[in-house]
Amino acid sequence: MREVVVLGVGMHPFGRHPDKGLADLAHVACWNALRDANVPARDVQVAYLSNSIGGLITGQEGIRAQTVLGPNGFGGIPMVNVENACASGSTAFRGIWLEIASGLYDVGLAIGVEKMHLEDRARTISALISISQIELSKLGMQFAGEAAMRCKRYMRRYGGTKEDLALVAVKNSYNGSLNPYAFHRKPYTLEEVLNSTLIADPLHLFMTSSIADGAAAAILCARDVVKRYETKHPVIVAGCALMSGRFRESDPLDTDVESTITLTAKEAYSQAGMEPKDIDVAEVHDAMSPIELVSTEDLGFCGKGEAIRYLKEGRTKITGDIPINTSGGLCSRGHPVGATGIAQIAEIVWQLRGEAGQRQVKDAKVGMCEDSGGVLVNGDNAAFTNVILKR
Amino acid sequence: MAEEMGKKGIPVLPGLVHEAVGPDEKPYLIGGKCKSCGKVTFPKTYVCSVCMTEGSMEEVPLSTRGAIDTFTVIHVAPLGFKAPYVQAFVNLPEGVRIFSLITGCDPLQNDLKDGSEVELVIEKIREDEKGNDLIGYKFRPVKK
Repeated sequence: MREVVVLGVGMHPFGRHPDKGLADLAHVACWNALRDANVPARDVQVAYLSNSIGGLITGQEGIRAQTVLGPNGFGGIPMVNVENACASGSTAFRGIWLEIASGLYDVGLAIGVEKMHLEDRARTISALISISQIELSKLGMQFAGEAAMRCKRYMRRYGGTKEDLALVAVKNSYNGSLNPYAFHRKPYTLEEVLNSTLIADPLHLFMTSSIADGAAAAILCARDVVKRYETKHPVIVAGCALMSGRFRESDPLDTDVESTITLTAKEAYSQAGMEPKDIDVAEVHDAMSPIELVSTEDLGFCGKGEAIRYLKEGRTKITGDIPINTSGGLCSRGHPVGATGIAQIAEIVWQLRGEAGQRQVKDAKVGMCEDSGGVLVNGDNAAFTNVILKR
Repeated sequence: MAEEMGKKGIPVLPGLVHEAVGPDEKPYLIGGKCKSCGKVTFPKTYVCSVCMTEGSMEEVPLSTRGAIDTFTVIHVAPLGFKAPYVQAFVNLPEGVRIFSLITGCDPLQNDLKDGSEVELVIEKIREDEKGNDLIGYKFRPVKK
């Protein structure tokens, strides 16, 4: 396998863009990434496009890669359509990584795009619910409720209060307020989080990720062709793992069984030859912000039951020793499902290049992106990814 | 079942529930059990994920009583549902954990607890676009 680097990243700001379709959103992200990489579009030999619910939202059920990238000038190259729930973007990233690592191609584009804001909000919600296994959704599962129950299992085992859980949203909304690509740029106080609409006990509105339109893209290339381009500091893909959820009879929060987040991370750590202590900054999948606490522990950044203490001590803040979700995470940046995974990659690339502005983590050398998406009938997520990047 | 006012009762999904035929029978959830390791699944599966040998699973009726593992009160409902309502995971004695709505209790009263004993009921989950009742399973607290 050849070493692969990220040469450039680009985003379309996440938010409400009623006048823009998938191709419009993708256009901005794709060409921002190409300019950032200083790679001519003609050099892109392979493209993977991730999108989750565009079929139900736009009616374009198949061939979204070809119909979104065609108007952006691309054709006559291998294109792959990727759907893997909230991990769609990172799965597309992994696809391009593999295409290049295998030696088949030298330069590729991974792009994620999602259009979610419609006049008919119920249609968006129905489309989102379809990301859970139908044995859950048809029986009345509300997706925030699944995370709410996970929070309750966490508190049952390790303690903690609703106020503790809300502090994650306080931290991440501050980070998001510093991110020009974030949907919500207002830092919330603890009172504001707890006074926002109750969605599913103990989760309030400001602790949940929001429906958003947006796109994010990354240009990858083989390390041995980097010299072709006058480019910034390439960021090396040190580990890249993908795993499906498992049928299981109990939740890892109730037992000492390793979670699928942990198993996926172990594979990425092993590829990178690294340990949790080597990670300087991480983007984790906080579709409901307190789930960040579970990820913090499952990725090995602290021991089981210690994440609330780490949070309260400020260790996961931008200035802490293991900053988490410096972008603002899914609740502040917004969660255009198919774009989220690559937006995480973009944030870590900016951090490792020292380009994260007010969100900059001091001297970050290694970063991680973790995604988990979809819900299976027994409560495990369906798709897990873990990407380790280093400078 | 649920043949009221000319409306039809339709299973919300096939293969989950064995409906009662005749007065002596009670409905139950259809599980799968591995003939070699004994692992029980719901819904039933083709192949046991522990043994991974073909043809090892057989259909079994699941217990109609269990205990709440965790629950939450939903305050913002998906389309076709009415908030507030309770959703939960229920542990059955066979060692299987099942997602279910909890009926027969006031969601805003604090009378449910993790571990509360619950029993199976077959009832309307919601209506479809034509006004037919979609029938599925729920659990309700066992009256002491």
